[in-house]
Amino acid sequence: MTASLRALALCLLLVPGSAWGLEVVDQTGRVLTLPSPPRRIVSLVPSVTEIVFAIGAQDALAGVTDFCDFPVEAKGKPSVGGMINPSLEALVTLRPDLVVATRSGNRAETFDQLKRLRLPVYLVDPISVEDVMRLVTALGDLTGHRDGAAVVTGDLERRMKMVEERVAGRRRPRTLYVLWPDPLIVPGRDALVSELIARAGGESVTADQGAGYPRMSLEAAVARAPEVIILASHGGGTPVGRDKWERLESLPAVKSKRLYTADGSVMHRYGPRVVEGIESLARLIHPEAFVK
Amino acid sequence: MTPLVRLDGVGFAYPKAAPGRSRFEIRDLSFAVAPGEVLGLIGPNAAGKTTVIHLLSKVLTPSRGEIFVEGEPLRSLGRAEVARRVAVVPQDVAQGFPYTVGELVLMGRFAHAPGRFFESAADARVAREAMRLTGVEALAGETLGRLSGGERQRVVLARALAQEPRLLVLDEPTAHMDLRYQAECVGLLRRLNREQGLGILLVSHDLNMAAELSDRLLLMSGGAAVTTGTPEEVLQESTLERVYGCRVVVDKHPATHRPTVNVAWPDR
Amino acid sequence: MTGRRKLLAVCAGLALVLGLVALLSLLVGSARVAPGAIVDLVMGRGPVEGTERVVILGIRLPRIAAAALAGGALAVAGAGFQALTRNPLAEPSVLGVSAGAAFGVVLAQISGLGQGVVEALGLTAFAFAGALVAGVSVYVIAATGRGLPVHTLLLAGVIVGIFFSAAITVLISLVDTNRLGGVIHWLLGNLAPIPAGALGVFAAVTALGLWLVLGKARALNLLALGEEGAQELGVDAERLKRRIFAGSALLTGAVVAFVGPIGFVGLIVPHALRMLVGPDNRVLIPAAALGGGVFLLAADTLARTVVAPAELSVGVITSFCGAPFFIYLLRSRAGRVMP
Repeated sequence: MTASLRALALCLLLVPGSAWGLEVVDQTGRVLTLPSPPRRIVSLVPSVTEIVFAIGAQDALAGVTDFCDFPVEAKGKPSVGGMINPSLEALVTLRPDLVVATRSGNRAETFDQLKRLRLPVYLVDPISVEDVMRLVTALGDLTGHRDGAAVVTGDLERRMKMVEERVAGRRRPRTLYVLWPDPLIVPGRDALVSELIARAGGESVTADQGAGYPRMSLEAAVARAPEVIILASHGGGTPVGRDKWERLESLPAVKSKRLYTADGSVMHRYGPRVVEGIESLARLIHPEAFVK
Repeated sequence: MTPLVRLDGVGFAYPKAAPGRSRFEIRDLSFAVAPGEVLGLIGPNAAGKTTVIHLLSKVLTPSRGEIFVEGEPLRSLGRAEVARRVAVVPQDVAQGFPYTVGELVLMGRFAHAPGRFFESAADARVAREAMRLTGVEALAGETLGRLSGGERQRVVLARALAQEPRLLVLDEPTAHMDLRYQAECVGLLRRLNREQGLGILLVSHDLNMAAELSDRLLLMSGGAAVTTGTPEEVLQESTLERVYGCRVVVDKHPATHRPTVNVAWPDR
Repeated sequence: MTGRRKLLAVCAGLALVLGLVALLSLLVGSARVAPGAIVDLVMGRGPVEGTERVVILGIRLPRIAAAALAGGALAVAGAGFQALTRNPLAEPSVLGVSAGAAFGVVLAQISGLGQGVVEALGLTAFAFAGALVAGVSVYVIAATGRGLPVHTLLLAGVIVGIFFSAAITVLISLVDTNRLGGVIHWLLGNLAPIPAGALGVFAAVTALGLWLVLGKARALNLLALGEEGAQELGVDAERLKRRIFAGSALLTGAVVAFVGPIGFVGLIVPHALRMLVGPDNRVLIPAAALGGGVFLLAADTLARTVVAPAELSVGVITSFCGAPFFIYLLRSRAGRVMP
């Protein structure tokens, strides 16, 4: 392997002016130079894993994390452990030529270790749905699956447009999204879910709260008199706390029985399924728009 | 001859007293211990006897006056220097960890070479000799917890002897001890005084033991010296009644002819 | 002198055990590395294939070094503090220093530090700052005009520790959920390979702390007689206490800064070793330096192999495995524990 690399380097030296090495800019503005298009990618981000499978580039995926559970085939890829504490040894053994990580979910120490081990790291940092689209395109460019990426983005845009049309012009009900019941965690500024709610035709009562997914007191949430309450479920029987909300009979949402449960994993990942999230939210917020 | 230790107008007060208690003081105390002398320090509770010991070992610093050790001001001597000349045998043996008797006695050698990491062969010899003198050689491998009260006191005495001091200061050496131990202790101290020429400052509640062993007595009360002299001179009924506040009868010991103090028990 | 001979024997024995455990640790892990490759690498014989070289030199070896250093530092700090407070159940974290250092690191992490190598050192600086603030606070609270009374020192340490733990809890409740996992992970105490430069600084600081504590080991023995008792034997007890306190705090702060808060080692290792080699600090402290390394290294090796490729926090192992072992030692050699 060293011999062929040396040969390649020699060839590149002999060809003046050729763009040797791939120059890539990741989502945080860092510039990476890769000697060749990555063929062995380790993804430390479940949403990135999803995207890679969606655009058809899964053969370039050499490793994933334990949390990369969608699509089902992703579980068949070798895992390097958790997002917070992936095993460096397992990672190195996979001989990756690129590691994809995120600033929100992976630790800075992991990033430092990877840099120390001289592994190229591609950082993603999506905040909005637009960012997700751009990420799909970027990953398509990176893996040489531009067409697959285009198909995915096209499909996603089409579906979003459809939702947009259906909820256009309708009054936006005050919507409370409960990410976690106790302590109460809600989507605030810059949270993906806030944008999803907006695109689904709702008005999130917590959109002015702190960045990301901050905590909020129950009182403050109740004081905003939400008309629609959506409780996120995280699978596997985690408590949703429905009865706690049903007891608050004075709330408009409870009175009109607009207390719903939604699948959280679809809403919180910056992957292709965010559009599914938009669709399911729209159906809950504006059921009248989807009656055939 | 330069006295082993001399207090010159020494005064001491604790910087902060407990609320409701008066500041304890030693007032204008002056006395000396000559080389090879046994001085007994007696007096009622809170007379200041233990404070004197702390002042001598530099645990406390006098507020007034000066203390001299072999002619040199105590102020100017380092702790190790003091420990080489004055050895204190405390009443209580505080201990947090299970050191053996041998290790404890060896600790007495610290002052002679504080910079050493391990003790020398000479240190070991001195320690062994000290243990032989006090009869605890056979217990060298034991921990204190397995010894009787008398044996423990002898271990502490051995440690003090290992310091090779010129003056031995004993704080209530026979407190809580049975008769046999008391007799052994007096015999041992007397031997050390006569054979080794060791000066002894003896603080005790036991007036009779102090009278037996001491060349001179110093009677203290309320932080000041009341009187000093031979046991016969000091142990007078009137003096004792005044200081202790109870009736006593002073007799002569049938064998040694030293004065013995007997309490006149009340309400008979 | 039996003292010297005992020290040599104990150190030689423990060094051997440490070497064996280190070798074993080098051989196991999530990645499959042939023992032959390790031998080749150590001998300087090449070529060793890229991955194996990276795993051995880049991941395992630095981590082993970090574990040995951190374990030794914590154990020596524990031994020093136990001698200082005359309490065999004292722990370096009782000083409040590890809580202060942890607060510093959490604060740094939350304000976004730690994104690059330079910032990694900044993280360390925050930890030291936290350790210093906590240590000085404890000292200032406990010190009176007449010195450093031990019971006040313990109390002040506990209170300062509680304060900083509460402060950490406040920070945790404010941090956004994305970063929460990382912060909690760090708080549980995890070992990771440290870059060579940082490892060098860590080793140097540990050596300084060890010198501070070990240099006065003989006088430290005398402290068992009580401060007055030690002073009567010629020890300057106040200076000694300050020095041991500084050494212990330095060692604890260094571990938290470079590795993270790991509990229990400073309590169990010196105590267990005291049962085996006796209370003489001149033997106990060097033994703790080596024995602590053995203990933490073994615990960390377990932590990273038991559920591979996932890893347990080493703090979990030290507690779960340390406690029963400690109980066994306590019951079988009860005589030598308390006087």
